[in-house]
Amino acid sequence: MLFSELILVIMKAVNRQRTISSPYHLIKGKKSGQTIQDIGYFGLYPYFGVLPKLDKKAYDQAVQRLFSEGYLLVNEQVVDLSQKALESDIAASPLNGWKYRGKENLFFNRLSLIVQTFSHTSQQIKIFDPIVSNEDVQSWVKKYLKRIGFRDLAVARAFKEELLITLTETEISETHKMIVMERLTGSGLSGLTWRQIADSKNLSLLDVQLMAVEALHGWMAAIERSKPPLLIGLMDGIIQQSSLTETAQRTEKLFGQGFSLEQIASLRQLKTSTIEDHFVELAMNDPHFNYMPFINPTLYKAIIAEGRRQETKRLREIKEHLPEASYFQIRLALAIRGKQG
Amino acid sequence: MNLEKLLQSTYGFSSFRPGQREIIERVLAGEDVIALLPTGMGKSICYQLPAKVLPDSVLIVSPLLSLMQDQVAQLKKMGEKSVVAINSFLKPEDKEKIWNTLSSYKFIFISPEMLVQPFVKRKLGQIRISLLVADEAHCISQWGFDFRPDYLRISEILPALNFPQVLALTATATDKVTEEIKKYLGLKEPYVYTHPMDRKNIVYDIKKFEDGRDKVEFIKEFVRKFNGPGIIYAGTRKKSQELSVLLTEQGISAAFYHGGMEHQDRIFVQQQFQNGELQWICSTNAFGMGVHIPNIRHVIHFQLPTSIEGYVQEVGRAGRDGQPSLATLLYAQGDEVLLESLVMDDLPNEHEIKAVNRHGVGATHLIDQGIVRETAFRVISYWMTQLPIEGVISQIELLRSGKRLQVSKIRELIGLEGCLRSYIIQCFDQQLNDKPDNCCANDRINYDVFEAFSYSKEKQFSLEWQDRLGAILPI
Ligand SMILES: [Zn+2]
Repeated sequence: MLFSELILVIMKAVNRQRTISSPYHLIKGKKSGQTIQDIGYFGLYPYFGVLPKLDKKAYDQAVQRLFSEGYLLVNEQVVDLSQKALESDIAASPLNGWKYRGKENLFFNRLSLIVQTFSHTSQQIKIFDPIVSNEDVQSWVKKYLKRIGFRDLAVARAFKEELLITLTETEISETHKMIVMERLTGSGLSGLTWRQIADSKNLSLLDVQLMAVEALHGWMAAIERSKPPLLIGLMDGIIQQSSLTETAQRTEKLFGQGFSLEQIASLRQLKTSTIEDHFVELAMNDPHFNYMPFINPTLYKAIIAEGRRQETKRLREIKEHLPEASYFQIRLALAIRGKQG
Repeated sequence: MNLEKLLQSTYGFSSFRPGQREIIERVLAGEDVIALLPTGMGKSICYQLPAKVLPDSVLIVSPLLSLMQDQVAQLKKMGEKSVVAINSFLKPEDKEKIWNTLSSYKFIFISPEMLVQPFVKRKLGQIRISLLVADEAHCISQWGFDFRPDYLRISEILPALNFPQVLALTATATDKVTEEIKKYLGLKEPYVYTHPMDRKNIVYDIKKFEDGRDKVEFIKEFVRKFNGPGIIYAGTRKKSQELSVLLTEQGISAAFYHGGMEHQDRIFVQQQFQNGELQWICSTNAFGMGVHIPNIRHVIHFQLPTSIEGYVQEVGRAGRDGQPSLATLLYAQGDEVLLESLVMDDLPNEHEIKAVNRHGVGATHLIDQGIVRETAFRVISYWMTQLPIEGVISQIELLRSGKRLQVSKIRELIGLEGCLRSYIIQCFDQQLNDKPDNCCANDRINYDVFEAFSYSKEKQFSLEWQDRLGAILPI
């Protein structure tokens, strides 16, 4: 997927109900209530935090290009997609940002250092400059290599074989796979910079960076599926037990201990609205979320019905017809519905 | 004690490079030492080897984070585990552990700004330090091209450490700078080792143009004629990118390198250069630190350097293998005017001094708001803690005249009719004896030797990912 396609996919999903800056916050992985709740409403899970270092200027340029090429149209206050954009055929993407949360970098750093080590040791070179300078990664890799008995050439071969098989299985283009390979370093053969990769493929920096993330998400999923004995070890600590943000987890814990929403807010010295954001996030993630402490069933059903009737997820429009519901209640109800599809 | 044996067992080298033995012997004899060794002459061995013999910790003050990281990495690569680097990037969870076990480290690297924090000072005062190493000691001198006010603070910690034995290391220093090192580090009668600055295998060339655009044509021609490995110092990030594109378009392998790139990409470029996958690096002055490539044949300066010292240091990255190497300085009419304003703009201006004076030395928001530039802020706030405002102003005036002097030396180099080599050497208060046959632009250069260097064609990459994996893991 190209970077411009990523913007289009997100703009399509939010269906005229969000501004042009909302994809930016989503792609960067902003942990605000609005962004988190939109993920649930519009099913934007795959795109959350896929390029955390995204530069606003680069984003704005990409958006400008979409306008000038006629994909996006300005229509009063909202941004419309042109027919051209709606008909554009964007390939399915293995992106899974909500699940992996940027941990693909940890996975890839480990992989880089392991591959570099195998490349050198298998050619009897004992000393080399580690390509990854992060000490946590270095000590993790040292332990891992020791555990698998890396000096045995048969182990190195088996590792390479697992790389070949799992990456072959991964459903992404050959270009994607090459990008990932080009970021790996071996003895006498260094990894390539983003600029070098982009130039060689006539793509932009953001395109190849996004494709690398896609490739890694796809590859990690393939590894999780087939669980090859050596590679599965790299997933240690990468698959998160809970897909919640840490702060929402703390709120969940306190709620479980019997504290009310207001009590949690004062305990944690946070605004009530922040705690409300946490509950919306919890509702999105938990299919069995119990809304009863916050909304009575009649009101819940009324909100859902109103949302359906108006075919909208705009809070204000629902609120106009159901003044008795608070914004929080509307958001919560929609989050639960969003989860149930 | 047999130093050669120790060298062999630690590094696997059988003999010392010039100067190393003298310096190490004096250090082991308990003397304070100021050592002037050109880049690439193995400065770090001068404290690493004594550390093997000395009973307690060696404290190394290092002004540049990248330099510190490089030295720590080098030590670890050699299997030394007892190393710690203390800088502001340290994680809180690691700090605790380090403070509790500080005395167990043989090598303690520290940045000057950490050194003077009261807590750190106290902790260091509690352990035993055999030797304090001031790396890049010329940074202490306000006359130096690389003045870092923080560095002056080393003198503040000496009493707390009970005035330990000191080794001051630098690659470039004039007599004046050496005097300042002595003064600020409180060295009474240090042994001063001065290595001849002259590198006989480096040939100094200057090319003059009427128009800056002619430089680009010159580079195009140059890289067709001569092979790398070579560094082109471009002056700015933008220029480094442009030049790298220019070379690539000529079908010559090149990449750019500057501080604006992400860390991993910078490492990739360094490694590509080291592996011989690239012939040319087009770079800002960010490139060079921690690069250990013996066979660099060319260093080209696309813009005028800001000082002779800086120039010599950058040029000194060429020809560490002792083979002929060419330093080419490109000059276009008017460059010196640009240089002067560039250098002067770097200094704190009146407006900035006033702002810091009004808001106090803790007012870092002035940097965030873009009112005072970061380096300017550091310089001003350091002097404000030392002197009343009038003193600060006159200090900065002094700094200004120092810079002006540096620029005038560069200008003189450009206009010179005599030998460039002897002029450069004189800038370091040394005399040139025995001039090499191939010397400099004003003594006629024989370029044939440089044409003789061949460059093995870079590896061709295949288009399939499986092939690349096979090349990385040929098993
Ligand atoms: Zn000469």
